[in-house]
Amino acid sequence: MIRYILRRLLLLPLVVLGVTFLLFLLTQRLSPEMRASLYIKDPRQMGAMEEVIRKYGLRDHVFKQYGRWLGQTIKGDLGYSHSANMPVAQAIKEYLPATIQLACATILLVLFFGIWLGTLSAVKKDKWQDIAVRLFSVGGFSLPIFVLGLLLLMVFYGKLGWFAPGGYSVMTDITIHGASFHHYTGFLLIDALLNGNMRVFLDVLRHLFLPAVTLCIGSFALMVRVMRSSMLEELNKDYVRTARAKGLPETAVIYRHGGKNAVIPVITLASIQFIRLLGGTVIVETIFDYPGIGRFGVTAAQQLDIAGIMGFSLMVAVLFVLGNLLCDILYTAVDPRIKLSE
Amino acid sequence: MDAREEAVLSVENLKVAFDTDLGQAEILRGLSYRLQKGKVLAVVGESGCGKTLHALSILKLLPPGGKISQGRILFKGKDILSLPPEELRQLRGGKISMIFQDPMTSLNPIRTIGKQLTETILAHRKMSKLRAQAKALSLLKQVGIANARERIKQYPFEFSGGQRQRIMIAMALCLHPEILIADEPTTALDVTIQAQILKLIKKLQAKNEMAAIFITHNLAIVADVADEVLVLYGGYCVEKAPVQALFASPLHPYTQGLLGSLVSVNKKQEKLPAIEGYPPVAGQELPGCPFAPRCPRATQQCLAQLPALQENNGHAVRCWHWEKKV
Repeated sequence: MIRYILRRLLLLPLVVLGVTFLLFLLTQRLSPEMRASLYIKDPRQMGAMEEVIRKYGLRDHVFKQYGRWLGQTIKGDLGYSHSANMPVAQAIKEYLPATIQLACATILLVLFFGIWLGTLSAVKKDKWQDIAVRLFSVGGFSLPIFVLGLLLLMVFYGKLGWFAPGGYSVMTDITIHGASFHHYTGFLLIDALLNGNMRVFLDVLRHLFLPAVTLCIGSFALMVRVMRSSMLEELNKDYVRTARAKGLPETAVIYRHGGKNAVIPVITLASIQFIRLLGGTVIVETIFDYPGIGRFGVTAAQQLDIAGIMGFSLMVAVLFVLGNLLCDILYTAVDPRIKLSE
Repeated sequence: MDAREEAVLSVENLKVAFDTDLGQAEILRGLSYRLQKGKVLAVVGESGCGKTLHALSILKLLPPGGKISQGRILFKGKDILSLPPEELRQLRGGKISMIFQDPMTSLNPIRTIGKQLTETILAHRKMSKLRAQAKALSLLKQVGIANARERIKQYPFEFSGGQRQRIMIAMALCLHPEILIADEPTTALDVTIQAQILKLIKKLQAKNEMAAIFITHNLAIVADVADEVLVLYGGYCVEKAPVQALFASPLHPYTQGLLGSLVSVNKKQEKLPAIEGYPPVAGQELPGCPFAPRCPRATQQCLAQLPALQENNGHAVRCWHWEKKV
């Protein structure tokens, strides 16, 4: 198992090199002058263009330029993002934890509702519960995410005032930037707990809720479907009949026996959805003014912030490999027949 | 009435129907028998004659689409079919347990056999997990699993087919049920393993004084284990007799055909003996005797009218012409 993990980790640099090099090639489609002009803020400095090109080696061979980027990256310097007005590394450090928090909250909701409703749907096949679940999940799936997000925002923030947009309230902002609040992990929820500050914890949770629910409703339909069909298949198998024949309570038959087997394909889907959430929650982050990494990536792309784009892609590639590895490890935890040897 | 009270299980006019594309098909058409304590009943018949469905009916485990359309199944005088869910659950595994045909698929693939055994015990008895585990361990030793202490932590895929069937047996017997139903318990196993498994079931059955129902199409098994034999054909019981009587003087032409088709090593045979023709399609409605189309003695009466099950000295047969010799 450890050998398998190490081998998979060895793949990581390869994936990262591939992704970043391809992207770097794309940026070369822009002429050196175009790329130099990105550094020039003031039309009166146009004369300095040649100097900029020479200073950053923008006319060098693509391998040489890529090598330079790689060298800096290995040293931990991802460059300066002019779209975020801070070094790329700092931007990732600031925005990524919030997005991971959001993705985790979402995937937990999706897993919970997906498994629960999918099981219910399978057990009550063709009864009203099944039809209701299928209607509800398909409904959520077909509703555009920006409509759903705005609707939730309107009702729960505008009308009821239960939840709020943004990452946290002003009070929390003051607290967490105060001297007595320690940032252990960068994840506000965890840091708040470590600091023993329940007020901050609940406040962050309150701001996390709506975007997580929006993302969940938008994506749990698939999970319900997979869980339902997988569960239906398992419940027809011989071992389920055995479990009933030996007098186990029906809940144990369904959850302990059928459910555990049925959840295996769900893990695959969940890990794909989780990785997708890490890089692609832009719409929801925008609607709820949530300070996540998705918005950073999109703004960087819109403003041709090359350092930002490269840094963002690097991060997504790393998360992708790690996410898949995690998925493989999860398999072995659920299914003893899978061994991660070769 | 006396006889019924003695019987641990009595099946009365059991009819099982299935939903098909062509409407309801009756597979089992009125089966009745009584099973006494400690006795072994063998239910014999070709595939599709309803023998497995009859077994599943006893535990109310019919697959989707199947339903018991008529009849009663009494366990010690109580109708199983109208038991409330909780009592039915306690009956399953606790009082009546079952061994299935295919040990490869009948165990949960991702649960250790130890857990699958102990959960069975804990579902019926109040005891600590540790005691249940100890009991599971001794059961595994009883059914002949070597190294039980290590193997109890293993998963079904780490066992051979014969070992898995032993585990199924341990699971079925762990609560000392009063009735064991074995649905072709050796069909999926090698011939050499078959004998071992049969011997094991027979030994444990005798030791625990259980009643048992053996479902099989293998007459050699019947001769080995049964006290009484019930022959099913086309959803009807066509003959029922004590095992010696049946083998010595089978009355129904179908039974005679079955016994005639046993191959003997000592006799030289040109061609394997077989009953001509095919069994009726499940659910097909025939007005007369279901065996009539294949029967050498069939007359117009046989095709038109279903004979009743007539009993003489404990030997019952459903045939118009049972007294004739072929």
